Amino acid sequence: MKVSLLARIAILLIAITTGACTSAPSNVLTIGAAGPMTGDQSKMGIDLRHGVELAVDEWNAKGGVLGKRIVMQVEDDQHDPKQAVAVANKLVNSGVVGVIGHWNSSASIPASGVYSQGKVVMITPASTNPRLTEQGFPTVFRICGRDDQQGPLAARFVRERFPNAAVAVLHDKTTYGQGLAEEFQRALGAGPRVVFSSGVTQGDKDFRAVLTTVKAARPEIIFFGGIYPEAALLVRQARELGLTAPFISGDGTYDQKFLEIAGPAADGTYLTFGPDPADFPQSQAFLTKYHERFGPHGPYSIYAYDAANILLSAIAQAGTTDGLKLAEVIRGTSHQGAQGEIRFDARGDVLNAPYIVWIVKQGRFEQFWRPG
Amino acid sequence: MTLERKFWGPVGWGLLAGALLVPLAGVEHGAKIAVAVAIATAGWQLTHRGPAARAIARTGVILNRIRGRALTAVSENRRAWMLVGAVTLAAGPLALNNYVLDVLALAWLYVVLALGLQITVGFTGLLDLGYAAFYAMGAYGYALASTRFGVSFWAGLPLGALLAAACGVLLGVVTLRLRGDYLAIVTLGFIQIVHLVLNNWDRVTNGPNGILHIGRPQIGSLVFTDPIHFYYLMLGVAIVAILINTRVQSSRIGRAWMAIRDDEIAAEAMGVPTTRLKILAFASGAAWAGVAGVCFAGKYAFVSPESFTFFESIVILAMVVLGGMSSIPGVVVGAVVIVVVPELLRGVQDYRMLAFGAALVFMMAARPEGLIRRGLPKRRPGAAAA
Amino acid sequence: MFLQQLINGLTLGGVYALVALGYTMVYGILELINFAHGEIYMLGAYIGIIALGLFTAWGWTAAAPALSLLAAVAVAAVYCGAVGATVERLAYRPLRRAHRLTPLISAIGVSIVLQNVVMLTQGSADKVFPRLSDAPTTFAVAGATVSALQLWIVGISAALMGSLHLLIRKTRLGLAMRATAQDPRMASLVGVPVNRVITATFVIGSALAAVAGVMVGLYYGVVNFFIGYVAGIKAFTAAVLGGIGNVPGAMLGGVILGVLEGLGAGYLSNEYKDVIAFVILILVLIVRPTGLMGERIPDKV
Repeated sequence: MKVSLLARIAILLIAITTGACTSAPSNVLTIGAAGPMTGDQSKMGIDLRHGVELAVDEWNAKGGVLGKRIVMQVEDDQHDPKQAVAVANKLVNSGVVGVIGHWNSSASIPASGVYSQGKVVMITPASTNPRLTEQGFPTVFRICGRDDQQGPLAARFVRERFPNAAVAVLHDKTTYGQGLAEEFQRALGAGPRVVFSSGVTQGDKDFRAVLTTVKAARPEIIFFGGIYPEAALLVRQARELGLTAPFISGDGTYDQKFLEIAGPAADGTYLTFGPDPADFPQSQAFLTKYHERFGPHGPYSIYAYDAANILLSAIAQAGTTDGLKLAEVIRGTSHQGAQGEIRFDARGDVLNAPYIVWIVKQGRFEQFWRPG
Repeated sequence: MTLERKFWGPVGWGLLAGALLVPLAGVEHGAKIAVAVAIATAGWQLTHRGPAARAIARTGVILNRIRGRALTAVSENRRAWMLVGAVTLAAGPLALNNYVLDVLALAWLYVVLALGLQITVGFTGLLDLGYAAFYAMGAYGYALASTRFGVSFWAGLPLGALLAAACGVLLGVVTLRLRGDYLAIVTLGFIQIVHLVLNNWDRVTNGPNGILHIGRPQIGSLVFTDPIHFYYLMLGVAIVAILINTRVQSSRIGRAWMAIRDDEIAAEAMGVPTTRLKILAFASGAAWAGVAGVCFAGKYAFVSPESFTFFESIVILAMVVLGGMSSIPGVVVGAVVIVVVPELLRGVQDYRMLAFGAALVFMMAARPEGLIRRGLPKRRPGAAAA
Repeated sequence: MFLQQLINGLTLGGVYALVALGYTMVYGILELINFAHGEIYMLGAYIGIIALGLFTAWGWTAAAPALSLLAAVAVAAVYCGAVGATVERLAYRPLRRAHRLTPLISAIGVSIVLQNVVMLTQGSADKVFPRLSDAPTTFAVAGATVSALQLWIVGISAALMGSLHLLIRKTRLGLAMRATAQDPRMASLVGVPVNRVITATFVIGSALAAVAGVMVGLYYGVVNFFIGYVAGIKAFTAAVLGGIGNVPGAMLGGVILGVLEGLGAGYLSNEYKDVIAFVILILVLIVRPTGLMGERIPDKV
């Protein structure tokens, strides 16, 4: 009986794998979408997948690219560097023409080596760590801004609007959050002084202890480098403890969920993000379609959508799927994305990532301040 | 099995699963799942009876016979079969693509980790939930030695092993008085502390950004970069680990460890120096983790704290338990299964981890003593009487 | 500031203690570290949200907020009790005679399954708990702020722990539980329905976790499918700190862990607050190898 049990398990597994490994016919082009699709950060990965899926479906409705239908291959890296490398190898092996991903800088950095070796274009919609594009890989692109573009803008805002203020700096001890906080602090310059600085644990729900200490330091403004779940709880618990200084945060906080979780406490929070997609006529179509199919968009859904469009139009323009040639086309062209014009510099970063400062007013994000 | 049970069993399980899912998934999906579970359970029952069951039983008998023959053949012509195995492992990769090679290299790496933990948990019976801490010591030890002092990979291997073993001794000494699950919680605390220190001690570990540009292994002018290089490297390390552990298990030390596991007080009464041996078990297990950590750092040229968590410890522990606590071939199979199954399950997309969790529960239920139990028939059945 | 940190820690500790009770009860009887217990707590929070959503749609929350909250807690407790019993029956009972670590791995499998079921059915994004009142009621006490919700959490935790203690000490079921914990075979020989007692243990432990889940969801205002992992580790630590298998110990362990975290974050370092908590745990165990209230188990020869 024991062996037959094992036999049954084996048969089941074989069935699953053969069922899954349907070989792709030659009249399709495959593009990869990689990010954390399961596990604690799966919302981010799924946002990314939805953005890519929308772009791919639109291209297919128009007849595909180079006369071929486009197929999306989604791979889950669980924001684990090991799985990111395995997934990168898998995508390169299955002959993808390009990859939109990964989400986390700690996954993108090790995976970028594999894509570069396989001469496959990689466009990350969300990994903001500067070191990703400083490795000198020609096929690696980043469509979002860098921590060292966003942090200084927040610093400039604080310098101008809160001169000589006492500043508290908090971050979530991730590559993203800490990097952002460090760039902010570095660019702060003379004038505002940092009276408190500490990391918090990502995934924690109770920040009352650290906030009590922050309150004792009497800051006039609090910077937070991190993403919306922690940001929302920080803001909410700060208000409950009677800590009234406004918060300023980065793009990771630009999410409807931030408003929902923080509720009225969110009012008056500043954050840096790109200009409103709703300001661009071309993004309206994207937003409508996205909401119809997948519900509210995440902060980086539009970046993933634009990244996929840039990759696909580069293929159409170059008439080839050769990675190095595609990279050249991508680098040399100005792209009309759903969020406006996008151009890349020699390293693969976007030129003038246009960050502005937003504010939360009565439960809505509003554009507030542009660097003059 | 009565007719009622045959009918009501599946219906009951289906209704229960559906009912529990209704609040989460809604009535419609709940009903669908109820039907699916009922059909699956009924199908499963059919494999116990009727023509399907006969076919499976027959396959099982045949498989069993093949297994018996294979075992006999292997034990009769050990050398020849080992040669066949060696040739497959050595030449096989030439026909495989980078993705498969990368996954296999990872599997061999986990074989080393699982074999190390087996010394502590399987042989000596000390439940260590913080094993990934030693893995981290090896990886960060080599990462720092390489990036700060230019230490080569090959010199890093013994260094990582020593560093991890030293930590093993430390943990062993601290926990000497603790038993059972109190030991488990201290080791859990240990991995949490190590993880937090790696994440927060920015000046040394570079915090959450991790350490980049770690030196890769190099032989002459050949720098290891491709998955195939690491396949051979990890395979080599894994084989060395298997050979050494097999030797150790049947040595005086190995037998003393198992005596401690089976009854510590009796072992002590028989004159086994339990204190020293327990510390030795921690240290030797940790040394393998250190070696694996150095290999990890050399392979990815990048280390960051998120690779060394409590969950990583749990994954390695699952390999040991699933494979069969004190069987070395079992642990090797357990490690390979736990690395490879989630990769095979990539086809089911979002349901991948769900399927993996269910597979863990199912495999433990099907094989509570692990996939391979200790004491495979070394001789042909029947030959024992001779 | 000290008072504020103490209040923060006590609330957190009350939550840890409630979750820790489930761990300790199951451990006391089966010597099983039920890793899936944290997920039951997470499920409780989700069911609470779903129930409150329904009640709001039916207009109950507007009419009687306190009552509908109680009803939501009851629904979550019943549901999680059923899940707990099912998990025990499917994943642990078949393994009762296997090696001690076998059910542990099975528990990890269950935990992965429950997490993913919730992720797949409820989505991976955070869920926002319905706000029952717009402005949280707070009191100022000697320069510190206490919210009504904090008082509720501490109060409900204390009441539940007290009644659990009475249940175990004074009722027939409690007697049967203690007998099973001491020696399941002996207990079954003298007529204790061991299987039913074990099911009851899982039901009670899971229901307590569900209560904790709903209260914490309300307190923080947000839940996601991953909260069980951290809460599980912390609660398990609390249970061991107090002496695993010992019910008053779990309460004490939870409160001490919460206060330690609060004070550690406040006075030493927020980044190292968990390190501080674990170092103290290790020190306690070195001095008292069976936890603060654990009984010394004599070595059996």
